[in-house]
Amino acid sequence: MLSKSQARAFFLGGTGVFSLAFLALTYDSHRQVPHLTNEGNLTPQVIAGKEIWEDNNCMGCHTLFGEGAYYAPELTKVVERRGKDWMRLFLKDPQAMYPGERKMVQYDFTDEEIEEIIAFFEWCGKVDLNGFPADPPLGRVAAPVVTTGKTDVPKPQMFSTICAACHSVGGEGGNVGPALDLVGAKMERDAMKAWISDPQKIKPGTAMPQIPMTPEQLDEIVDYLLSLSENH
Amino acid sequence: MKFKTQKIAYWFFAPALLLLVLQIVYGFIMGFAHMGFDVLHDIIPFNTARAVHTNLLVVWLLLGFMGAAHYIIPEEADREIAWPKLAYVQLISFLLVGVTAIVCYHLNIWEGRKFLEIPRPLDYLVVANVLLFLANIGWTVWNGKRFTTTAIVLYMGLLAAALLYLPGMITFDNQTLDSFYRWWVVHLWVEGVWELIMGGILCFLLIKLTGVDREIVEKWLYIIVGLTFISGILGTGHHYYYIGVPRYWLIVGGIFSALEPLAFLGMAIYALYMARKGGRKHPNKTALTWTLGCAIMSFVGAGFLGFAHTLPQVNLWTHGTLVTAMHGHLAFWGAYAMIVFAMMAYSMPLMTGRKLWDTAASNYGFWISNIGMVAMTGAFAVAGVSQVVLERRTGIDFLEVQKEVEPHFFGLVLAAALFTVGILLFVLNFIRYGRPTDEALGADPAES
Repeated sequence: MLSKSQARAFFLGGTGVFSLAFLALTYDSHRQVPHLTNEGNLTPQVIAGKEIWEDNNCMGCHTLFGEGAYYAPELTKVVERRGKDWMRLFLKDPQAMYPGERKMVQYDFTDEEIEEIIAFFEWCGKVDLNGFPADPPLGRVAAPVVTTGKTDVPKPQMFSTICAACHSVGGEGGNVGPALDLVGAKMERDAMKAWISDPQKIKPGTAMPQIPMTPEQLDEIVDYLLSLSENH
Repeated sequence: MKFKTQKIAYWFFAPALLLLVLQIVYGFIMGFAHMGFDVLHDIIPFNTARAVHTNLLVVWLLLGFMGAAHYIIPEEADREIAWPKLAYVQLISFLLVGVTAIVCYHLNIWEGRKFLEIPRPLDYLVVANVLLFLANIGWTVWNGKRFTTTAIVLYMGLLAAALLYLPGMITFDNQTLDSFYRWWVVHLWVEGVWELIMGGILCFLLIKLTGVDREIVEKWLYIIVGLTFISGILGTGHHYYYIGVPRYWLIVGGIFSALEPLAFLGMAIYALYMARKGGRKHPNKTALTWTLGCAIMSFVGAGFLGFAHTLPQVNLWTHGTLVTAMHGHLAFWGAYAMIVFAMMAYSMPLMTGRKLWDTAASNYGFWISNIGMVAMTGAFAVAGVSQVVLERRTGIDFLEVQKEVEPHFFGLVLAAALFTVGILLFVLNFIRYGRPTDEALGADPAES
């Protein structure tokens, strides 16, 4: 049977060999990380964004690269998912974008800080993460694609950058709010304008945020949405 | 108890239990927030509660380990602690640093890196403090009348834990490297050197409680901690799958972390075998229950549930979801909280001289807290798996999924209430022993 000194040799030898292997792999990872993470794109703006991320312990609610807490969304690909315009609006006043929902701390970031945060997330989104986060394989089952969305009215820029984060048209866009392909058949122009201008007034407690916009932008969006069902 | 300075352990254990209760309070704040009642949002936002909850865990477990060392080392080295006054200075300063860090988290002052949130200036104080502790214990071991494997494994674990704190203090502009070295601390602590500490304490308790020959217990200790390091060091790779390091970590991490349960399985079989083999009928049955419970629950929580989501094919979907919280809770409870409880249950009658070996409160405390924790793990599992299926596999939006899993957090809070009752019974029992006294010298039935 095994003696105590053999057992000790097993412990010391095993620890030694595998520590060395670990150090060798660490060395090699260091060699490859600049390429895998596009280290050349680590601008002072990105680094400033990372400092904001750390100074406010964003990881205490969110995950990034899947690391952090599980109280708020994963943010690795957030720029790709939501777009910069949406993020600018959101970071200015998080609770206004999700009225009555789970709260994020109001940090009162300056415009410059918001750009730094976005730059940091943009850099994170381009790191080679070996396939994480993966696209949902069952997505099509859950949200059957509606193939309307045909209109001659051009899609307003504000719709693409803000509204589409939650609503879809022609199967493109978010699935937080309802798809808007047929909304024109259900709502008159004035009702739609009143709803978008102040959702809480029409339906207190709704999750639809009040998005700041000019009357021209509002008209553009309403024209676009109404035109979708006219051509249907 | 053979030496007067072993009493120092008590002064580490008492605040450890206090901080555990505080940790549970912050856990409830988070549980309610997940249920939709984030009523304290303006005073204690979730990220504060989260940082306090995990940091208190680390602080009270370290206090428990330090207390255990103050009890075990004199007996193993066969002499008093080298500088007893220094031990109290170290204890008080450690508590001050911990409390300061907790206060800072309420003021949005932190480093914002999971588990290592403590602000940088306090990092240096932690290092200085731990050096005091290591010097005091190390001097005692070095100048002891005998060197035992148990003492050396325990001391090596404590020393390595201190050394591995340092990589976490290096900062990088690159988030990937930041994360890479953060795991050197977090992973190599809990799935590496902390297991040395746990193994050392377990070994001491088995020798005392079962009466099995020291040579046999210590020989198997080497095998178990050997298995831990062989699997655990490269097992760090399971944190490197998706953070921006090369693809080979998927294979290295997958294979070696799949072996990690073997070390815990070995630990469980080892403890159960020694307990059966032992001829001694030590009257402190509660301590033996906690010791064997620790060996079994660490296998279930750290070994089995860790394996459940460690393979890269599975982890791609579970990474960064509540599934991690499921594994984390039972793993820390089984492996580390329970070993500290076992040590408290063993040493309290000996330090105070009160022969409350096997009380109703301590028995109910054991079962209620364990059933509560298993039920909590179940609630996290259901919430976590639902999140994986709905959010990761189906693509439903995060907040919508969180609403779907709210009922499971109600279940979690109920289970946590049960767990808390068990903990409070343990604390009550702890208080009943009163203060340690020199009159208890020589009261150990293991020595008669």
